[in-house]
Amino acid sequence: MSIKKTKESFLPDLLSRETSLNGKSTIIEKLRLEAQEDVKQTSFPGRKDENWRFISLRDLYSESYIPASQVDYTLPDISEYFIPESEHARLVFINGAFSSDHSSTTDLPDEVTIGNIADIVEDDGHFLEDHLNKYGDFEDDIFSSFNTAMLQDGAFIHVPEGVKVDTPVQFLYIQTDAAEPYFTTSRCLVLADEKAEITLVEDHVGLAENKYFSVPVVEINLERDAYVKHTKIQRDSKQALHIARTAAHLKQHANYESYTITLGAKLSRNEPRITQREEEVEFTVDGLVLLDGDQVSDTHSVMDHRFSHCESHQLHKCVINGKSHSVFNGKIFVRKDAQKIDSFQENRNLLLSRKGLVNTKPQLEIFADDVVCTHGATIGQLDEHEVFYLKSRGLNEHQARELLTYAFALETIENITVDSVQELLVDEVHNYTSRTLEKQPVS
Amino acid sequence: MLEIKNLHVEVEEDGTKILKGVNMKINDGEIHAIMGPNGSGKSTLAKVVAGHEAYKVTGGDILFEGESILELDPDERAHLGLFLAFQYPVEVPGVTNKTLLREAYNTIAKERGREELDPLEFEDYINDRLDIVEMKTEFLDRSINAGFSGGEKKRNEIFQMAVLDPRISFLDETDSGLDIDALKVVAKGINHLAGEDNAVCLVTHYQRILDYIVPDKVHVMLDGKIVKSGDKDLAVKLEDKGYDWLTDLASVSANGEQQ
Repeated sequence: MSIKKTKESFLPDLLSRETSLNGKSTIIEKLRLEAQEDVKQTSFPGRKDENWRFISLRDLYSESYIPASQVDYTLPDISEYFIPESEHARLVFINGAFSSDHSSTTDLPDEVTIGNIADIVEDDGHFLEDHLNKYGDFEDDIFSSFNTAMLQDGAFIHVPEGVKVDTPVQFLYIQTDAAEPYFTTSRCLVLADEKAEITLVEDHVGLAENKYFSVPVVEINLERDAYVKHTKIQRDSKQALHIARTAAHLKQHANYESYTITLGAKLSRNEPRITQREEEVEFTVDGLVLLDGDQVSDTHSVMDHRFSHCESHQLHKCVINGKSHSVFNGKIFVRKDAQKIDSFQENRNLLLSRKGLVNTKPQLEIFADDVVCTHGATIGQLDEHEVFYLKSRGLNEHQARELLTYAFALETIENITVDSVQELLVDEVHNYTSRTLEKQPVS
Repeated sequence: MLEIKNLHVEVEEDGTKILKGVNMKINDGEIHAIMGPNGSGKSTLAKVVAGHEAYKVTGGDILFEGESILELDPDERAHLGLFLAFQYPVEVPGVTNKTLLREAYNTIAKERGREELDPLEFEDYINDRLDIVEMKTEFLDRSINAGFSGGEKKRNEIFQMAVLDPRISFLDETDSGLDIDALKVVAKGINHLAGEDNAVCLVTHYQRILDYIVPDKVHVMLDGKIVKSGDKDLAVKLEDKGYDWLTDLASVSANGEQQ
């Protein structure tokens, strides 16, 4: 089948290729059909759109993709990607499809509902109907509509009132090698009721260096006094295209703490959107991006302060090597009457190469008068005074630069409380610094 | 141990001449003091010995144990046993004192054919060294100089010196910005570390630290040259009379005539 590759027909064409979504649930079917219409009605973004002007999606839409459900694969042992703390608190999806064989949730308290969205909707469809697609408020966003139009399997967790879950939960999304490029979506819905607590590790892993197009959407709702810690690790294939949305809603005294670590993908786009639903909330949207080669990473975040008394924190750090390109656009909204907001935003970029590119754009729209919003963006190289200082203590050029790069990156991951995840990321940072500095001619 | 011969140095970037023929020789077991007013070139001399890339040596030589070190990188000089205590120690957020010192100690140990220490052995070693500058253990886990007071930074430099055990140390204005108590601690540490097979060169603006550390030789630097050398009494004389009585010597020497 030959498909004319225009960007306007790109996503509708992909949807028409996916014919396996004959779900049993009318609830999902309804959402899907509506979203299919949205995909057709919404225009595909281009560089003339303010939100997309820094990156090109040509590499995405000029390729043809088969549905992930049609990929033939042999699965290697994937246990190396299992987080030990979540040995029995894990959901695994392989090319978008839920794998009950690899999943286990026996370590979680009985009150917690966890499982595959497609299964849960059969058991308790009405509960899910009240929440699914209710928090991902990305208006006119063709990619989240595309995700909903593909809705089938997905991760679901509901932590009821007062339940504090100590065991971190891993949602592991495995993408296999394939003969042809493929497209896949993943959906995740997290519901934390009043005083509930949960730690999540959202982990995207590419097993090979093949090309695929992945569109994950995560929706998180925090009721009053709920506490959700969310670490996202994106270690997709270096040829992958990863376009993700994450939405969190917070009610009074809720605390959402998120760390997004971007390591893989040729092109990745993260759009965290945090919405305050009541007064007195707290949230963190930190990020670390390590880029090399011709990787492109774009983070467009929205911190929407709608009510008074909110403390928000965003430290977004990027290390750029080779010809890679990093984009940060951090929107902070403070709505009218949302007084006593204390918002911190900082984007720091460390350029290790001459050919790297950084676009950074803090964007504040403040309609209240009693607020503290600090924001800053820096782009710099390693400080030569620091390099000399370390060398004068006996470290060679390589050791000094590695130590400084490592120190730069470390700040964003040291608050992650899952030990093995922190160790994993420390190793990733080490690998990255030794790999990138290896290639640098020492001047 | 260290011999500086007719050293001429200019700023790499704009060619400003800073050192205009410096000569000095430091032997094992000696403590030297280089004094001089601001802008005389004494800090530059310390940095050039350490291998700072902002300066270009245009003439003369620096010999360590008889071998020229001009072609060596700063880290290679550190491996030989050269140490510079910075006038303005650099803050390195995210790297703890302990991390730096263990990596530095083991790198130098390897280069000098000494035994490297594993984390536990290093812990014992480093705790022992803390006492020399009366520093608390918490210091080790703090980022290098980040958020340190001026006095803590200076003390940290001497602590690093204590850990790395160099052959020759240039201490660049280590005494400036210290209150009298901190000065005593730092001076005590330096006296403790000064031994028969190492050497110390204090670069200082004031005579004050020399009340606590008695130098074998005092040099006065003016306009990029050492215009007078003597024993500790020279420092006392400078304290009384200032540098003005020496400026004539500087202008004479700047014309290239014999002092």
